[in-house]
Amino acid sequence: MDMNEKPKVEEKVQEEATVEEKPTLPDTKEGKLVKALLEKAPYAEGEVIRERRIKFIVPADRIHEFLELASEKFEMLMQISVVDWLKEGQFEVNYQLWSVSESVHAFVKTRVPRDEAKLPTVMDIWPVAETYEREAHEFFGIIFEGNPRLGPFILEPREYEKHPLRKDFNMLSYVKEIYGEDFDRYDESKTNYVI
Amino acid sequence: MANLEVPRELREEAKAHDMYLHPIDKDTYELFFGPQHMATENFSIILKMDGNRVEKAIVNPGFLHRGFEKLAEQRPYFTNIALLLRICVPESDVPENIYSMAVDEIVGWEVPERAIWIRTVVLEMARLSAWMFWIMGFGNEIGLYTAGQWAAAYRERFMRLYEELTGGRVYHIYTVPGGVRRDIPGDKWLRQLRDTVEYLKGKLKDFDEILFDNYIMFERTEGVGVMDKKFALKHAVTGPNLRAVGVPYDVRKDDPYYLYDQLDFEVPVLKEGDSLARVLVRRYEMEQDLYILEQLLDMGPPSGPYMVQDARLKALPRFKPPAGEAYAHVESTKGDFGAFVVSDGTHKPYRVHVRGPSQSHGVTVLEELLKGARLADVPVILKTLDNCPPDIDR
Repeated sequence: MDMNEKPKVEEKVQEEATVEEKPTLPDTKEGKLVKALLEKAPYAEGEVIRERRIKFIVPADRIHEFLELASEKFEMLMQISVVDWLKEGQFEVNYQLWSVSESVHAFVKTRVPRDEAKLPTVMDIWPVAETYEREAHEFFGIIFEGNPRLGPFILEPREYEKHPLRKDFNMLSYVKEIYGEDFDRYDESKTNYVI
Repeated sequence: MANLEVPRELREEAKAHDMYLHPIDKDTYELFFGPQHMATENFSIILKMDGNRVEKAIVNPGFLHRGFEKLAEQRPYFTNIALLLRICVPESDVPENIYSMAVDEIVGWEVPERAIWIRTVVLEMARLSAWMFWIMGFGNEIGLYTAGQWAAAYRERFMRLYEELTGGRVYHIYTVPGGVRRDIPGDKWLRQLRDTVEYLKGKLKDFDEILFDNYIMFERTEGVGVMDKKFALKHAVTGPNLRAVGVPYDVRKDDPYYLYDQLDFEVPVLKEGDSLARVLVRRYEMEQDLYILEQLLDMGPPSGPYMVQDARLKALPRFKPPAGEAYAHVESTKGDFGAFVVSDGTHKPYRVHVRGPSQSHGVTVLEELLKGARLADVPVILKTLDNCPPDIDR
């Protein structure tokens, strides 16, 4: 391939970034789903990402209410993913739902402050949330009020309350602290370390 | 038993953690099942037994935790393939594919047709070799060792094909964002694959006689570990376990990826929801997978490049996708396997979260199904749910 030729994909992305048009819901099954949910829950924002993928942004204090509404169409809670946005001081909690009847995957996003991360549990809607919330609590330190089993789950007891998937948790210095002299490969003066 | 003395402090501490260090009364006792037990595959369950019956089960994961998600945040995009495929050993192509699909979507790459065809073939081969691996474990669980040994031998044929295609037997590092790492070796490889498919089709009848149509298998699985449709949906059970309760959800049909919308295959569904239904759904799926591979071979690989043509691929460690996020999922033998990748525009992913199907059916569902089961049924329930511990631990 010609090295001087500019990749096509980059141009496309830049174009999309400059054009700011108001999102309108398409007349598809995804658009109808978003519209029906937004009518019941006007506090949320919703959009269609692509075919069979939709997205909602919901304030943290109304997340339980919204998910209860969504559970009528979305039978399964596929997972709860947390993204740690360190610079903004927030955790983004993604509830990923799948509708078996409509074949649509929905992201339900909410943000909570990092220093006081609390959310209501959704175990009463989908019992499987118990497992996902235990994981999110252990790795990020988010407290799900109402979940009785928040405690050591996967990690060892000495790692508990350390929340290793937070962006400010330095894995290498933790390993050095635990293994000390045995871990002599780690040199703190090096930046951009790849083990 | 009465002379068993445990220090009072230790006993109180154990009691505070809901455990008892000595027989609770004449018949009730606590049993640690795994992780060293063969049937559990590095997985541990704490059982509270009443005689021969399980009173309560507490799942105790974490023996396989290797911190893949944290490590993935510290490596360039293409290096992560060699890491994430170790999540699920029996079908290591699945984590490769979901991660590559998600990165493809973030970058906006249109994967070439030839690569799509190769990826579909590789995924179906992974499914078949994972079925063989499962028969090996399940056959051993119920004492039908011959079936297990046959399955291990047939899996070897796929291992050889993989070795010729990718250079690796178990871990392939073959599917990468933008395509596949190298081209198929030639027509001889395709002929060998067709031979293997034909061979397995014949051998499926032998499996029926020795395992699936066997009196012992029916006695051990019928009515064991029953779940209903509502329970399965609320617990996000996917894959053959969900199809055994009557929900025809298959990612290949409901969220088609690769060539699956052009292929003709059926989604087997049974209604009973017990271990027997789960076993039989898997048996029917094996047949469908062989049928899919046959169709793909009839189609033949399309001509063209096997990797996307992009100048950025010349400097892989510094390869930077645009900021964005994507979720991709495929149908694995364990269920709906998904990856959520977030990019912040740097050369390393900002977050990778893998949805292992066993995370939903291996913790709460297992605890529920084990209640009231006999001790001998514990490995049967574990194996028919097809619990893969690294999905939970990661």
